[in-house]
Amino acid sequence: MRDDAIRKIVIVGGGTAGWMAAAGISRVAGNIAGLQIELVESDAIGTVGVGEATIPQITVFNALLGIDEADFVRETHATYKLGIEFVDWTRIGHRYVHPFGFYGIDMVGVEFHHHWLKGLALGDPTPLDQYSLGVVGALQGRFAHPRPDQPNSPLSKLGYAFQFDAGLYARYLRRLAESWGIVRTEGRIVDVVQNSESGHVEALVLQSGARIEGDLFIDCSGFHGLLIEGSMNAGYEDWTGWLPCDRAVAVPCETGGDRQPLTRSTARAAGWQWRIPLQHRIGNGYVYSSAHISDDEATATLLDNLDGAPLAEPKPLRFRAGHRKKSWVGNVVALGLAGGFLEPLESTSIHLVQSGIARLMTCFPTRAFDQREIDRFNALTTQEYIDIRDFLVLHYKATERDDTPFWDYCRTLQPPEGLADKLDMFCRNGRIFREHNELFTETSWLSVMVGQGVQANGYHPVADLLPDAETLKRLAHIRDVINDTAGNMPVQDNYLRSIGCDLTPLRRAS
Amino acid sequence: MNDHDIRDVVIVGGGTAGWMAAAALSRFLNNGHTRITLVESEEIGTVGVGEATIPPIITFNRMLGINENDFMRQTGATFKLGIEFVNWGGLNERYFHPFGFHGQDLEGVHFHQLYLRARKHAGMPDISAWSMSAMAASMGKFGRPTDDARSPIRELLYAFHFDAGLYAKYLRGYAETGGVRRIEGKIVDVGLRQADGFVQSITLEDGRVVEGDLFIDCSGFRGLLIEEALNTGYESWKKWLPCDSAVAVPSAIGGDPDPYTRSTARGAGWQWRIPLQHRMGNGHVYASDFIDADAAEAELMANLEGEPLADPRRIRFTTGRRQQSWNKNVVALGLSSGFIEPLESTSIHFIQSGIAKLIALFPDKRFNPVERDEYNRQMRDLYEDVRDFIVLHYKATKRDDTPFWTQCRTMDVPETLERKIDLFRAKGRVFRDGLELFATTSWVSVALGQHIIPEDYEPAVDALDEARVATALEQMRQGYFDVARQLPTHGDFIRRAGLSPNAPPAPKNELPTFSFEAESPFANMSGAPV
Repeated sequence: MRDDAIRKIVIVGGGTAGWMAAAGISRVAGNIAGLQIELVESDAIGTVGVGEATIPQITVFNALLGIDEADFVRETHATYKLGIEFVDWTRIGHRYVHPFGFYGIDMVGVEFHHHWLKGLALGDPTPLDQYSLGVVGALQGRFAHPRPDQPNSPLSKLGYAFQFDAGLYARYLRRLAESWGIVRTEGRIVDVVQNSESGHVEALVLQSGARIEGDLFIDCSGFHGLLIEGSMNAGYEDWTGWLPCDRAVAVPCETGGDRQPLTRSTARAAGWQWRIPLQHRIGNGYVYSSAHISDDEATATLLDNLDGAPLAEPKPLRFRAGHRKKSWVGNVVALGLAGGFLEPLESTSIHLVQSGIARLMTCFPTRAFDQREIDRFNALTTQEYIDIRDFLVLHYKATERDDTPFWDYCRTLQPPEGLADKLDMFCRNGRIFREHNELFTETSWLSVMVGQGVQANGYHPVADLLPDAETLKRLAHIRDVINDTAGNMPVQDNYLRSIGCDLTPLRRAS
Repeated sequence: MNDHDIRDVVIVGGGTAGWMAAAALSRFLNNGHTRITLVESEEIGTVGVGEATIPPIITFNRMLGINENDFMRQTGATFKLGIEFVNWGGLNERYFHPFGFHGQDLEGVHFHQLYLRARKHAGMPDISAWSMSAMAASMGKFGRPTDDARSPIRELLYAFHFDAGLYAKYLRGYAETGGVRRIEGKIVDVGLRQADGFVQSITLEDGRVVEGDLFIDCSGFRGLLIEEALNTGYESWKKWLPCDSAVAVPSAIGGDPDPYTRSTARGAGWQWRIPLQHRMGNGHVYASDFIDADAAEAELMANLEGEPLADPRRIRFTTGRRQQSWNKNVVALGLSSGFIEPLESTSIHFIQSGIAKLIALFPDKRFNPVERDEYNRQMRDLYEDVRDFIVLHYKATKRDDTPFWTQCRTMDVPETLERKIDLFRAKGRVFRDGLELFATTSWVSVALGQHIIPEDYEPAVDALDEARVATALEQMRQGYFDVARQLPTHGDFIRRAGLSPNAPPAPKNELPTFSFEAESPFANMSGAPV
């Protein structure tokens, strides 16, 4: 072991972020001789655990941890997710799905959507949704795993993620991490000891008087950022101007048994409502702007719009959209809500934790804490937040809704520069470029831009290599193959039962 | 549409070439304004020797969106993993020319180079032990390849043996469904345009006149349009490939078919053996300067494994190619464009490749000579490339037991082939000029199988530790062997997959698939491979 190697990592907080970090880091670095990992949490402090819906990158994280998927699905009461259905976003009564995976099939060297746009110009009005196996399958309640071994099947590139109980997920990860030797310490942190010269955190003091020393501290303490803000004063970049929602109220309810493998987001008067179907219940929440609606009114709206009876008291949450100006200061790295908050409109919360872990492992420090590596980590983190922000703002900006002051504000908002460019490029010739490996791909941008009514006025000229009749014929063929394939996918409920899930719904105690 | 667009395509002749062309064009010219007509006469027989194919046929079938299982059922097809050559390098010798690859390259060094070093220093099995297709063939096994990156099964490459008559019938059904008009009738006259000598029309025996903008000559050896009407000229390659005759006969098959073609060298030529599901195709290709027709037929009949199922049929040909496959507004496909004996099963590939190039260079009524010249250049390259590879089989032999073989062994070969042989003999190097059909595996198989043993190997090989490489080679060999052993037999595979003509259509448990492959966006070309 080199003499300036990190000897001890202390993770502060045991919510989703804390246990993801514990499991991820111990899996990757746990075998380094002499490296100790300890997680400190207090059962007295609740966790937020809103992040119940995920995006496909989660499968990479699970694979890293060597998780058996069926076991994971059973234990976390998970359902599969093929995309997000957006209701009333473009205008009231309108709906579209943002699927994982791809649309159609690329032809003559240009992306499928140019051929679709050409089809529209030739008078084929089929909506984009019908060229996504994810959408067609999900709307029929069906799920199947992708088949990369069948390159000519639309299943080859189907993308999927999960919806799960975040509490059970944290517990699942805790069991893994503890089996790999993570030390868990129960206790409330009452003091943080910092080095007087470097300002680095040296130790945490618990209520019991116990002192926990470490070389690297990972702050997973939630919104308030116990170490990153409380000790290191990282500062917060506030994006409320672009994303005005600042509160949420969440409540689980009984499920009626309809388990389309989709998260649903329904636009409401001053925000939007999530609906996340799990095996036993449905997770719901209303994300809203406190400037445009009162807490009571928001709660009432939520309770009026549930599939079944509520299973708990509605839980209020407060937040500010934005991110820590620096996620890594000195020897403290913030992950999860301690690092920033973006509303879960595109289910990015868990992904941000995961990508933070990946970045940390990439820039894994020594006790010398090279500032250039830290700067790089912070720059990449900031860029990731900006990319996601722009994609979220797209949903609010590209709307016809002007029926409430909230929507009027969003519709007339000056978009951030990156978003303005993307919109302009798409409107002209249907072009979409993915910048610096950003999280949301061309497919996602396409899906939401088209779904929210952004019109492309042209398409890639090379699409004309196909004669018009051939384009129309192929479009019809692609629809047929997707329909046939969807019809062959198992109904999700049957699939879940086949891997041993008990789908008995939770009922309210009467 | 445009005023210059071709409106009428007329295909002359309805054998394998004619119906392949009709099927492909019906798919790619399906634009609402181009009419495709095929004229054939049931009185004129077709040659239909091309019963064995090479892997590019799969691309052709996919291009047409043909369901492979359905196609195999309707043509009595079997799978083909390569060709076994018997008595070619010397009497009582055999080697296998497999489809696919030999082994895996290590650190950028070609597998066959590693093999050559190992073989120089120790006794080694034949190189075909490192070919998935060859291993399966040697055990009479078959399985379709999968994309599983961890298993050598993904390296298995295959083609088909089928009944060429049934294949033409199958494609006729496809083409007619796609809107191709078929006219029955014997052509008695060809009308040329006075101004430029382009073919304007053909006249049938009953007086009907069929006009066209583009004519595709699939009339066979005689070249009704390309030669009889346009006098294009033919280049003979007899000095390198002296065989000029064949006699063919089907025979009964006992037991399950082998998943490979066999070619057995005879005193003045060679005999093919092509196992189909319902019969064996056999034929003797020979040089009439060295053996007379009756003797050649007798030799064939004496070497059948089962009862003959028909009278033997005699065929005469001149190996070579039409000086221009495309002349004025006539494009010759198949035998009318050239003939090379089917030693490496290339007949159907010539047709397919001609069609693909025609589609890529499809003309308009102005017939830009640039497109025609490019087509002719590409076709010439293809014919010459195949010719050289076929000549290699005759030249590289120890046989001196008959005047025929002595002549072949001592003949001068084309300069292009000589260079390739010299390169291989020095350090086992194989270079593919342009887009040659037969790749490294083919060259290595035939050259080693026929005693062109490189004197040395590439110096780069010495950068790799010999003991480590030996272990890796042995692991690879075991891998191919183990996977081949676990495959079903070829006969079982055909039965289980419901591929026999009498089997009811298989239950639809395959995934629905797109009938064409994705052509990924240009942007992907600049990034890392996905």
